[in-house]
Amino acid sequence: MKIAVCVKHAVDETELKIDSEGKPQLSGAAGKMSAFDKNAVEEALRLKSASSGEVVVFMAGTSDSKKTLKEALAMGADRGVLIAVDPLAADTLRTAELLAAAIKKGGPFDAVLCSEGSSDTYSGQVPPMVAELLGFPYAGYARKIELEGQGATIERSLEDSVEVVEVPFPFAASVVSEINEPRYPTLIQIMQAGKKPVDEVKEGDLIPRGQRSQLAVLSMSAQPSTRKHVIIEGSPDEAAAKLLDALKKEGVLSN
Amino acid sequence: LSSVVWAYSENEAVSDEVASAAAEVAKAISGEPVVLEVGAERGGTKAPGKKLVVKGPPQDSPPGVVSEALGRVAKEIRPAVVLIGATRNGREVASSLAAKLKVGCLSEVAKLASDGKTVTGERVVYAGKVVAKVSAGLPAVVTVKIGSYPRTTSPPVGSEVKDVGEVDSKLKVLKREKKEAGSVDLKSAKIIVSAGRGVRKKEDLGMIEDLAKAMHGALGCSRPLSSDLGWLPEEHHIGLTGVTVKPDLYLALGISGQLQHTAGMKDSKVVAAVNTDKDAPIFQASDYGIVGDLYQLVPAIRKALASQG
Repeated sequence: MKIAVCVKHAVDETELKIDSEGKPQLSGAAGKMSAFDKNAVEEALRLKSASSGEVVVFMAGTSDSKKTLKEALAMGADRGVLIAVDPLAADTLRTAELLAAAIKKGGPFDAVLCSEGSSDTYSGQVPPMVAELLGFPYAGYARKIELEGQGATIERSLEDSVEVVEVPFPFAASVVSEINEPRYPTLIQIMQAGKKPVDEVKEGDLIPRGQRSQLAVLSMSAQPSTRKHVIIEGSPDEAAAKLLDALKKEGVLSN
Repeated sequence: LSSVVWAYSENEAVSDEVASAAAEVAKAISGEPVVLEVGAERGGTKAPGKKLVVKGPPQDSPPGVVSEALGRVAKEIRPAVVLIGATRNGREVASSLAAKLKVGCLSEVAKLASDGKTVTGERVVYAGKVVAKVSAGLPAVVTVKIGSYPRTTSPPVGSEVKDVGEVDSKLKVLKREKKEAGSVDLKSAKIIVSAGRGVRKKEDLGMIEDLAKAMHGALGCSRPLSSDLGWLPEEHHIGLTGVTVKPDLYLALGISGQLQHTAGMKDSKVVAAVNTDKDAPIFQASDYGIVGDLYQLVPAIRKALASQG
């Protein structure tokens, strides 16, 4: 069983600073492995252990994002592929095209796993696009994946329903965070990850740079907070009574 | 490129919202809004203009089949903008359709506008911290944020049918089931009482649930309680990867207020929070805060409710 996992080095939204003009300071912002990607790596490792094979981690990113790839290797992935991209020119379709091309080149793979969306921009576009470009059947929002014979049975977690689907190999899937509890690498694993192979490929060598992206971010600004930030003091009984008074005045308590 | 603006969602209520978005974009580019249905014709479809029934694949087809069917018609009609409701299935349909058509895709956008060359809109990124104004050159695929447009109420004026023939799918749907604990409808709840890591034991959730009932509200939770601890079904999970809610009142009990959580409740009308940590980020997202122990405050609020009637 050969599994490709796609990960993203995402802006750490909890560390993202907003400047005095209300603009996020993205240049030099701290990055980390997109939170839910750990679930995708974990699931790939779990599926591999159920069969044996190889887990290869793919990432389109800059060289300073390598630590995310190393983290996936520390968790137990066998090797990594870093597609060096120009971050300013990256958009979702281009990213998906690069990942699909690298997966095709490094394949054949039985499965491609992603997370449902990245923790920074959470568009969730890349996984279905990669599947589309590879021509793989795609099961998004998987909360359970079971390998069976020549494929997998997957539970898709939708808003108010669960859909059980069956896909043959090779397939692609995105996972939701409830699918598993990602492991924490040990210190030894973290040290060993440095010795695991990472191939670096240039994006232009995979697919020549085409026309400029048609997508653009025109502006970004901090979400203004319109909350009142009233702190209610007093003993629990006093505070509770004051809170209910305030909520009544707001007209949000039903009778 | 035509000046047609498509609206599609597999969910009827969402379809009515996307139809309103399509009407707005179409007006801006002097185009025509068209509401799409895939598979069988729906009875109660609302549309600002015409509707287009894409026949071939059965109703309730998986996203991959829907995007293939839409792609076949799109290659012929060449719509300027394809608007799709940002449900989980809708997001998949949009992304794979964009990859098929090799066009840009914008995700979960509100406040759409167009000048005929690009489509622009606003979306929330970095777990709710930042609003980005984004743009895509036409033609483009856009998923429309749920709840960001009112529902269209008028019936369609005219309807057309396109038959795309059979669509093969390697993915087979074996069954669909309503999620357990479907008794809580967080999306339509006016009051939500939500529990976080401040709750020490699973059994203590009973006290929170009682309070929710007494307030005629629904019970929600932050991610650790559903995903990590498994104390509540995933359907109660409010946050970036869970349900997005906007009740009149959101009462957060023992929730620290990480961005992943507040992304799911920040549009609530009034937010109140109880937390022992005065520096918990939830207080930045609240109108009313009580720095205290929920184990004292929950009974006190119950008591105050009873005495105030």
